[in-house]
Amino acid sequence: MRLKQINIINFGQLSNLTFNLPSDEINVFFGENEAGKSTTVAFIKQVIFGFYLRSNSSPFFEDYKPLAHVSPMGGSLIFEDEQQQEYKLERLWAKGDKTKKGILTVTHNGEQVPETLFFDKIKNIDGNFYADSFIFNQEMLGQVTSLSQADLLERIYYLGAANSSQLLNLRDSFNKEAGQLFKKTGKKPEVNRLLSQIDDERASLKDTQSEFTEYEKLRQELKEQTEELNAEEKKLKKLQTYLQHMQEIQTELGSYMQLQQLQGKASKVQFTAENYRQAQELTAQIKNLQASIASLKQELMQISANDSFDLETAKKLVQKKTEVLQWQSEYKTCVQKAEEIKTTEKQLLQLNPELATVLKLSDPQISQLQKDFTSLPQKPTVPNISNNSSNKLWLIAGAVLIILGLTQVMSNGLIGAIGFILGIMTFVYGFWSQKQASKKIALTEQVFQQKESAFKEEYGLNPENLDLKSLLTNRNNYLLKVEAEKNNNQNLAEIKDQVAVLLDQLKQLLKKPISANFADILTALDQLQKKLDRYQSKNERHHSLQMQLTQQTQKLNDLNLKLKAILAKDNVNKMSEYDERYQASLNQVKLQTQISTLQEKLTAHLNELKQVDRNKLESRLLAIQKEISDQEKIVAEKQQKAAETKVQLSNLADSTAVFSAKQNLANSETDFLNSSKEYLANLLAAKWIDRSLDIASNERFPKMLVSAKEYLNLLTGGRYTDLTLDKKITVTRFDGKKREVKYLSRATAEQLYFALKLAFVEQIKDQINLPILIDDSFVNFDDRRIGYIEKLLKKISENNQVLIFTAQDKLAQKLSAKTLTFRKDRADA
Amino acid sequence: MKFIHFADVHLDSPFRGLSFLPSKAFNQIYRASDESLTKIIDLALQEQVDLVLIAGDTFDSTHPSPRSQLFFAEQIKRLTDAEIQVVMIFGNHDHMPEADLLVNSSPYFKLLGPNQQVEAKNFVTKSGFNYRVVGFSYLNNHIVEDKLPEFPAKDDRYTFGIMHAQEKTSTNSQNVYAPFTLAEIKDLNYDYFALGHIHLRQIISHEPLAVFPGNIQGRHINELGAKGCYLGKIDEETKQTKLEFHPTSPIVWQSVDVHLTEAISKNDLRDRLQSACQPQQTTYYSIRLHGAELLNDEEIDLVQDNSFWPSLPLDSQIVDLRFVTEEKMQLGDSDQESFEQAQKEIFSKKEFLHAALDWAKKDPVAEKAASDDQFRQEVEALAKIKLSQKLKGFADETETD
Repeated sequence: MRLKQINIINFGQLSNLTFNLPSDEINVFFGENEAGKSTTVAFIKQVIFGFYLRSNSSPFFEDYKPLAHVSPMGGSLIFEDEQQQEYKLERLWAKGDKTKKGILTVTHNGEQVPETLFFDKIKNIDGNFYADSFIFNQEMLGQVTSLSQADLLERIYYLGAANSSQLLNLRDSFNKEAGQLFKKTGKKPEVNRLLSQIDDERASLKDTQSEFTEYEKLRQELKEQTEELNAEEKKLKKLQTYLQHMQEIQTELGSYMQLQQLQGKASKVQFTAENYRQAQELTAQIKNLQASIASLKQELMQISANDSFDLETAKKLVQKKTEVLQWQSEYKTCVQKAEEIKTTEKQLLQLNPELATVLKLSDPQISQLQKDFTSLPQKPTVPNISNNSSNKLWLIAGAVLIILGLTQVMSNGLIGAIGFILGIMTFVYGFWSQKQASKKIALTEQVFQQKESAFKEEYGLNPENLDLKSLLTNRNNYLLKVEAEKNNNQNLAEIKDQVAVLLDQLKQLLKKPISANFADILTALDQLQKKLDRYQSKNERHHSLQMQLTQQTQKLNDLNLKLKAILAKDNVNKMSEYDERYQASLNQVKLQTQISTLQEKLTAHLNELKQVDRNKLESRLLAIQKEISDQEKIVAEKQQKAAETKVQLSNLADSTAVFSAKQNLANSETDFLNSSKEYLANLLAAKWIDRSLDIASNERFPKMLVSAKEYLNLLTGGRYTDLTLDKKITVTRFDGKKREVKYLSRATAEQLYFALKLAFVEQIKDQINLPILIDDSFVNFDDRRIGYIEKLLKKISENNQVLIFTAQDKLAQKLSAKTLTFRKDRADA
Repeated sequence: MKFIHFADVHLDSPFRGLSFLPSKAFNQIYRASDESLTKIIDLALQEQVDLVLIAGDTFDSTHPSPRSQLFFAEQIKRLTDAEIQVVMIFGNHDHMPEADLLVNSSPYFKLLGPNQQVEAKNFVTKSGFNYRVVGFSYLNNHIVEDKLPEFPAKDDRYTFGIMHAQEKTSTNSQNVYAPFTLAEIKDLNYDYFALGHIHLRQIISHEPLAVFPGNIQGRHINELGAKGCYLGKIDEETKQTKLEFHPTSPIVWQSVDVHLTEAISKNDLRDRLQSACQPQQTTYYSIRLHGAELLNDEEIDLVQDNSFWPSLPLDSQIVDLRFVTEEKMQLGDSDQESFEQAQKEIFSKKEFLHAALDWAKKDPVAEKAASDDQFRQEVEALAKIKLSQKLKGFADETETD
């Protein structure tokens, strides 16, 4: 590519400036300082690769202040390639444009084309590459001079690579960063720090990993401790049991003493329960029998007490009841007859009142009487002796009492007897008073009869009433009647006699007064019958009682014999003695029960109790208690230890320490690896750059060396004739002396660098052929050297168009006939 | 017959890749494996399975914490109390003496081949189905020999193989976990081979069945997605086995890609992260941020800082953020090639190890990471981002801000 025209619209301090470049080889731009030479260099570079509108300092020559208020800025360059094709690159930037690089328009033969059409021609290099490889200015040289020898060497070495100086700077910054992250020996850099952190964490992980061993150890310990504890607890338990035992012994000692006492009281009693039971039974039977016998005897006694009863008479009497009834009937008939007679007599008497008197007279008397019948007295009436009712009451009451008494005797002896006696007394009184009444009546009758007799004697007859004839007829009649009556009375008397006899017997038998009337007699007979019945039954009873008595007495004797025999068996005389024996045996049984209860209670320790020393027991107990309390302390200690171990175990069981430690370590390792990555990335980026430069330069270096050798020769005016590359670059002097670059003088090193760089540009000329811009780079070149460089520039301009920007007149004149000159305000074209 | 197969419980194992850990998350994490195991046991009880196979690495180390030992014992007791047969082996992590295992002895619990000897044990289900389990436990952390030749030939019983092992690889140093070949497993022709060790769930053979159930809880960003156990149902007539996977892990890890296509504000960036993470359960996210070269220095730093990450529902969180850049660095064509070549060389295993040597020598973790491909790739990506970002600065002479 050859630059044909530079057209600056506005750029830096330049505006409206156009240069038409006359040569395809060397073009010289001449101008005073600050005329705009460097600005033009920057313009060329920036139109191709973009404006560089950084407000702060730019690295190289591009450090300028753009025209603040000029718009648009930029301009155009016209290139022509080897095929004479024209490319116009116009780059403009106007206020408000988004990109500060400016807007590039590429025109090919007057037609706008994509910019790649142009950039493909220069292998898409960037501005840095261009600046680094094609632009030679003071700053570049200044950079070279400000570098250390080693760095300079490196620069030279890598010159074959594009952007080498920037890349080397970059490499250095990577190396620096890497160095800050890790040092082979050091503690502060991050990676080193993390390394030691990892070591620490490994150690703590190792500690935690002993957890398992620790856990196993503790488990074993716990097992042992538990065993020990169990043994001690067993011991304690044994002691406690022993204490309890001894306390029991102590407690039981009282009982034991009681037992001993009771055993002292115990004795053998001859006693057979069965015998005693039999004896008791017998005794009871005997008692019953005795009672029975006694009662029999009493009854017998009672029965035989009223034994004076004429049984035969009574029987006879009773049998006479029919007779009495006949008598009664006869008597009744007689009485009726008598009444009839009486009635007749009465009627006679009534009809003949004097009759009564007459009748009293015997026949002589009658004769007499016949005379004096008129005073013949009347026959008095026999008063009826009737029983006084009160007396009857007494009798009845007595009878009732007797009956009640008798009945009561059966149930209630005493009251019965009293009732009975009272009854007898009442009855007797009744009987007695009745008799008195009878006597009185009889006396009255006597008196009356006497009176009557007296009357008769007196003839108290009324003579007027005396019809003696009728009277006597009547008296005959009457006497007939009297005769009849007499017979009748005789019958009556007979009956009465018989009755009286009977009555007497009855009275005797019944031992009570009985009125002489049939009813009573019949009643008495009935009573007698009853009495007889009673007597008979009593007799039977007596007999039976007697029989019983005999039997029971016999039985009693048997029982007594049996009892005796039984008593004899247990060597006892009397039942009472046997009872005592029984009581004694009962007491013994009770005693035995107590003894056996106690023995039962004490059975476990009986032998021990026999042997125990009562006096030492208390102190023994105290000693055991002491032992127990000591043992308890031991147990408590062991328990405490085991508990502690358990806590440790459970702490371990719950511990996330291992995991934590691992996780921490893993995290630190991650941190370490991340930092290391950072470190290694920096380190390797540096190496990468190195290696890239190596590769890039190594490819070109041998070819570069050929050109560089020539250039160096030209630049040094033949002082250095050869360059060799064998690990290190070696320079050969005109005298054949070889020198390593590091031993070159600074100026020579700069010349070498310059030569190599130009060689590089030449080297890539087939791929990238752009104008070389040399901006006052040769300020340090003296006249002699200007001579050398002229040759050099001529040489390199064979390959590349060279644009020289200089303020040195001499150089300008030497290099070109037609110089392009900067003037203030405008340049001429 | 029904059975459950799980492995690699790794009780006590931490979550990796978390540089920060709020206490809430700590509790969540430390219970995660426990919860997952509990759910598996719940499932066994609920399904009334006949057999539970535990194919090694139940514990994360040979000295598991008492807490995890007791927890495990408690869970096993739930099974043995329900008269569910448990057959367990030790793996390379928990290769401990049988006596160290705190599980209560029970006729329903069997630690198979405790002396690293292949042991065959016959069982009968409650319904009278005969089966046999053959396997071995680790007694050392490495078993270099192939154990399969020691496995007895299958008889007419339904036969389970159980083994904590890794398929043979071409790298000899890796063949330390009873290396086997699939061909051997096929030759044995057991009805079901219950494997453990590989944390990625995979059925490596269908005829006959050989299964890695994966671990039961993802622990880092390389253990993505649902984790749990297999429930097997055997047709006792045909002896055909049907497998169902049951996810049980309370936390899942998920990787999410976020693509940036243009420069973006901090708030928008945060929103993008938030909307990229839509958890259905507690999820730990690893973000792969594409187009990171569009971010400036400050944003690069910011987006790597967890305090910038949005908070998510269901106790989910972003735990990791990585940059991905597919874009070529903005270099001239001529340098592009050299950079690419340099990248290949520098990030080759050998060169990487060489460059990282001083660092790698410092710690086994570093040493391991240094030879870990993924780690190397992550470093590479980060370096690329960093470089791209800087190189962009070269090109981009006008600041957008």
